[in-house]
Amino acid sequence: MTKMFGEPIKRVEDRRLLLGGGAYLDDLGRDAYAAAVLRSPHAHARVIDIDVTDALDVDGLIAIYTYDDLAGAMAEPLPLLIPHPTLTHGRTQYALARDEVNHVGEAVAVVVARDRYLAEDAAERIAVTYEPLPAVVGIENARAATNLVHDDVPGNVAANTMQEYGDARAAVAAAPNRLSLDLAVERSASTPMETRGVLAEWDADSGRLRMWSSTQTSTGVRAAVAAKLGLDLTDVEVITPDVGGGFGVKIVHPWPEELLVPMAARLLKHPVKFTEDRREHFIASAHERAQLHHVEVGFDDAGRILGLDVRFWHDHGAYIPYGLIVPIVTSTQLLGPYKPGAYRVEFDSLYTNTVIVTPYRGAGRPQGAFVMERTLDAIAGSLGLDRTEVRAANFIQPEEMPYDFGLTFQDGRPLRYDSGDFPASLDKLKKLVGWDEFAAYREQARAEGRRVGIGLACYVEGTGVGPYEGGHVLIETSGKVKVATGLTSQGQGHQTVFAQIVADELGVSMDDVEVVTGDTRRFPYAVGTFASRAAVMSGSAIALAARNVREKALRVAAEALEADPKDLEIVDGMVRVRGNPGAEITLGTVAVLSNPLRYAFDEASKAATQFAVGDPGKPPVAEDDEPGLEGRDYYSPPHATFANGMHAVIVETDPDTAEIRILKYAVVHDCGRLINPRIVEGQIHGGVAQGVGGALYERMAYDEHGQLQNASFMDFLMPYVTEVPRGIDIDHLETPSPLNPLGIKGAGEAGVIPSAAVFAAAIEDAEGIPITSMPISPSALFELRRTHEGQR
Amino acid sequence: MKVSGDATLHAPIDRVWAALNDPAVLVRTIPGCERLEATGPDAYTMTVTAGVASIKGTYSGEVKLHDQQPPGSFVMSASGAGGPGTVSTEVQVRLEERDGATRLTYDADAVVGGMIGGVGQRMLAGVAKKMAGEFFAAVDDVLTGRAPETDGSTTTAEGMPAVYADPGAQPGVYVAPPKPGRAVPEGFAAGAVVGAVIALAGVVVGGLLGRRRT
Repeated sequence: MTKMFGEPIKRVEDRRLLLGGGAYLDDLGRDAYAAAVLRSPHAHARVIDIDVTDALDVDGLIAIYTYDDLAGAMAEPLPLLIPHPTLTHGRTQYALARDEVNHVGEAVAVVVARDRYLAEDAAERIAVTYEPLPAVVGIENARAATNLVHDDVPGNVAANTMQEYGDARAAVAAAPNRLSLDLAVERSASTPMETRGVLAEWDADSGRLRMWSSTQTSTGVRAAVAAKLGLDLTDVEVITPDVGGGFGVKIVHPWPEELLVPMAARLLKHPVKFTEDRREHFIASAHERAQLHHVEVGFDDAGRILGLDVRFWHDHGAYIPYGLIVPIVTSTQLLGPYKPGAYRVEFDSLYTNTVIVTPYRGAGRPQGAFVMERTLDAIAGSLGLDRTEVRAANFIQPEEMPYDFGLTFQDGRPLRYDSGDFPASLDKLKKLVGWDEFAAYREQARAEGRRVGIGLACYVEGTGVGPYEGGHVLIETSGKVKVATGLTSQGQGHQTVFAQIVADELGVSMDDVEVVTGDTRRFPYAVGTFASRAAVMSGSAIALAARNVREKALRVAAEALEADPKDLEIVDGMVRVRGNPGAEITLGTVAVLSNPLRYAFDEASKAATQFAVGDPGKPPVAEDDEPGLEGRDYYSPPHATFANGMHAVIVETDPDTAEIRILKYAVVHDCGRLINPRIVEGQIHGGVAQGVGGALYERMAYDEHGQLQNASFMDFLMPYVTEVPRGIDIDHLETPSPLNPLGIKGAGEAGVIPSAAVFAAAIEDAEGIPITSMPISPSALFELRRTHEGQR
Repeated sequence: MKVSGDATLHAPIDRVWAALNDPAVLVRTIPGCERLEATGPDAYTMTVTAGVASIKGTYSGEVKLHDQQPPGSFVMSASGAGGPGTVSTEVQVRLEERDGATRLTYDADAVVGGMIGGVGQRMLAGVAKKMAGEFFAAVDDVLTGRAPETDGSTTTAEGMPAVYADPGAQPGVYVAPPKPGRAVPEGFAAGAVVGAVIALAGVVVGGLLGRRRT
């Protein structure tokens, strides 16, 4: 039987999804009432009065709720999910604005009506009297603190955080060479194809709530809803249907609608559904990325960093429900595969009157990689060294693994790299992109009047953070295998890769394995899909659960076959005694035997009657046993496992129009053992596409009043397939992780992390102009050229 | 959003005043203006309907005049809200007499929120400017005789338009007369409203000049 682990198997979910068989949130609950949310048109204002009188005339209106209608825990601010000792001024919003709104799009009232048209008509008739206040927009304004977002947060600073090893400032001061850099990254957002949505129904007879949400954490939503609505966890079921992408924005929970919709369903005793529209997603769902950084670096003549001192400012928007995850990730993952002699990093997390900032694919790493890689390029430039040499001079070496920086990572655990071979990766990348041949290519292009440049960027990505995930594996009497994990899917291909793992562990065909994710009815304990953790966490847990099932199946089969479990193997769903043809029993029959029920329902039960199991001197279910052929287990790692990779890109810039074209894109990627290379490459392709968008096209154009001026796909530029490199050259290195039973590392965010850094490097190389701010558009590059010429 | 522009009204300043001084004229000339009410010496409330395609709605709002430095300049603040969102704007207006004509320049800074705020912002300034231009052109046409000063229902002895007071309305309330083919201004609603507000600056011009002359 072919081993499934490591095979580029086609995604089993694609046929269903591509033929329209998917069921996303808005496909559900056709008879539900529709909810529409009235949102603040102001970035900062006091709410003086909400008058719903006119809205009451709308035929089909069911209910309108404002802050005054919220009771108990619902009237309290939303939870601050991830506290941190340095987060001294954490503020979160109310489910509906109480007396102040702090960003355009903040929920002010929710309207329930027979359909969405009527709900929006009624919402339009609600007259809200606002007293506008000065809006704080952008990091410079937040830092200047001329105006405050929250009256009780001085300087707009939620947190000031510092980590250090060695004495970085002294090391910089003592270094033979020094550089200062100021580096900026603008806002962007996850922008999944499917926006957020939630559906809830209340069973008044049993007092139970069932809800569906397009979320990255069904268990998180469940716990939040139970707490806010005063229900026991077991009385709340949360099911994640097919999800059309999340990329981070759907890990935030509870969104106000995830509380308001079940609240309304319970009060109205009727299903209620909310589906976010695209404009709402732009203005009311989380963004990320905006940070300003100042770097002081000291280095020797070989380009080795002796001291690195980074100060940065993070714009987290109007509230900070997700804590300091993004800036902590920047501050730690900035180091990448390098080992500066001493390192100090300090950041302020700042309030602004814009929508909240929470992790978006990459989660602070793109900014970190941008800062580190720009710094290394600057060092190479100042010393006249090849950029790859400077990187090689700073690499952590394979024999230094595991490498502990003495810093604390986002999960509160040590920043400790488990494995990786950075010099080998760099060699692969140089070959893949043709680094050493590029000088000749540049000359040839120059002779043709063309301008080309090459850049590279490296990163290390902490993946598979804890605390845990679980898996449940059950063998039916039909021989089919049912697998469940509480972690949700957002389209990554979990049905495929988890089935591959189980097929190998149990010796069954993948066709007989069915995987369910993110349904609290099937698995109530879970954390969620984020931080490239699904394969590492749930994959490992499912493997462990499958091993438990296998062990029991062999024990029961050994008894039935009167053999030693050690002599048994499972091939294609059949337990066989090695070297004894004919001595075999199907897993389905073993499942029947594992459950000492006296009724023979079907052929499998009849087949089982020929075997005798169990000690007649003991109870049918022994004290240390349980009926059925199923297993459950959890995986909880000591700390994150660190994947890594390196990207290189060759770009051509138009001498007249400053248009930026991608000529070649190369990726070397190490995520430990590959479960499914096709899916890993798909993740890389998607990540690179998203990175191209983030580097060259996407930005959130807030004006000085806090109005998002490009809140539609007319003005927010997403790359089409025409803007994404036609071919992405990928090479893999597999350094297994010692931390989990499968030796794997996460791969979900890899493609997007070095994008800003690698494009800035290539454009700088083509133009000879320092690129210190990303994203960069042709018009921005055009302006840079003019400014640069003016300075000459 | 910043919008600036200018207009030359081809009439002596007192005739400009005469035309602009009467809210009943202005309620007909301001694009999309349905109702205008003087609530005080320097304050009005108004209702403007504007929009295009699916983004259409009625805005209600207030206009206030301040920082008057007769006869050269003043600032007008206006804010309104409606289904498609909110608009608030400050318009700096400057006037000068030149060769028997009146030259008016304006600089508007508008905050456009709600649905319009996020879609098509790049078109709004153009729309606002175009509408303001249309307003001043319409007034200029009246002043230079290229267009009838009224719709012909009634005229005063001086040939100035009569007040189109709503029969049931309070004194000082002016509603636009029903006009066949009077369409909602084409263009993004908020741009249209900003245009209307700039147009309303003309009201204030008239008011200021009026006070100066009396």
